[in-house]
Amino acid sequence: MSLFDKFQTTATQYKALREGIGRDPFGVSMDEMKGPTRAMVNGKEIVLAGTNNYLGLTYDDRAIAAAKDAIDQSGTGTTGSRFANGTYAAHRQLEIDLAAFLGFKHCMVFSTGYQANLGAISALAAPPEDVILLDADCHACIYDGAQLSGAEIIRFRHNDPESLDKRLGRLGDKVKGKLVCFEGMYSMFGDIAPVKELIDVAHKHGAYALLDEAHSFGVFGDNGRGVCEAEGVLDDVDFYTGTFSKSLASIGGFVASNHPELEYLRFSSRPYMFTASPSPANVATASAALARLKSDPSMRENLWQNAKRVHAAFTQLGFDLCAPESPVIAARLEGREQAFMAWNFLMENGVYVNLAIPPGTPNATSILRLSVSAAHTNEDLDAIINAYTALSEMLSAQAA
Amino acid sequence: MSSIQEDDDLVFRKIASLIEPLNEKGVKLTRDTDLIADLEIDSVAVLDVVMDIEDSYDISIPVNTISEIKTIGELVDAIHAIKKEQS
Repeated sequence: MSLFDKFQTTATQYKALREGIGRDPFGVSMDEMKGPTRAMVNGKEIVLAGTNNYLGLTYDDRAIAAAKDAIDQSGTGTTGSRFANGTYAAHRQLEIDLAAFLGFKHCMVFSTGYQANLGAISALAAPPEDVILLDADCHACIYDGAQLSGAEIIRFRHNDPESLDKRLGRLGDKVKGKLVCFEGMYSMFGDIAPVKELIDVAHKHGAYALLDEAHSFGVFGDNGRGVCEAEGVLDDVDFYTGTFSKSLASIGGFVASNHPELEYLRFSSRPYMFTASPSPANVATASAALARLKSDPSMRENLWQNAKRVHAAFTQLGFDLCAPESPVIAARLEGREQAFMAWNFLMENGVYVNLAIPPGTPNATSILRLSVSAAHTNEDLDAIINAYTALSEMLSAQAA
Repeated sequence: MSSIQEDDDLVFRKIASLIEPLNEKGVKLTRDTDLIADLEIDSVAVLDVVMDIEDSYDISIPVNTISEIKTIGELVDAIHAIKKEQS
């Protein structure tokens, strides 16, 4: 018996698939970045269509200038946690700005989006009397936060308020705190949650609603406040979580709430207390990107225009798409082998997308996941659509 | 046959019918069948089967319990324990 036995089955499968195509889908190295939508990979320029760079702000002039200034003024790293020596004025200011933008009274900044969910969920619920209910398709950080809390965890069917209602209804009187977790837009399929219905069901049973808008912040709603803004229920969210690493093109995460008790997490959330705070450059970039997001709706308009164009083109090509129009466009393939082969075909045709296979995907599906950016030019989109056109021809030739 | 034994068989058959579509290797299902090692079902697929079981019996099986379950027999036992507790 060795520590490593448990990895063998997956390692062997993965190795065979990797060697079959001669490339590692989970280890692509961007050797040189050429802008928000292009990179050099193995000496070839590739269009990036698997980045989560929704607003295309990774090269925003003001954000870059702000990051340089922050390094000059505050140094390269904080060398400490928020709880110890790692809270700078800029962290507080960003919390104030995010709270004001979203219309919440309180906000806490974490070092990554992963840690924001990990930190909030693990601290909010505790055994033996609290229960966490999570949407079956929630991101790993929500599952991990729930596991770290030690509280009882119950899954409900994806995007199914009735399934949540049944599960909340079955809880006995012994249960004290109930925390319901779900997302605005789901990262793999790009599908949208019925947030109003889920919040209504949660509140009917006296549960708190935690909504993760990691992929939908900056993307949905008239002001980019997320799916809950688009659905008119932002004020009903108990805990709003998000990330800086997608629309804001930085690294970090946050939790916002109108519950004043959110502040208690500053001395009870281990993923907040025992890790270094975001670096001055990361905070400055997130702040500058937030300012741009507030003042410039044209990025969101471009993003949606691009998303609609790609979605319509893929639909016409006959791809089996996982969701209606959104900036995440995922196409179902027949299985792991076909998905690996198709992913590699796109790379050879100059387009990088995300390969996603079980257990990282819902319902054991193998998909090619593409994320559209506001920064994609018409030439980028042409390249993407041409590569998918060639892929669709190749797949039909194989099927024939 | 006692009623517990009968109920046990019913629950076993119910679970077997839900797992069968995932049993790609055609393994003969018994109480000792290991869901992940013998059937090579991934951990998320196990959680999805459990959700079907929850809806069939109108019970909730916490994820924490499922992570300790390896075999079909252990799943049958867990369902009995939870049915008793939640009834």
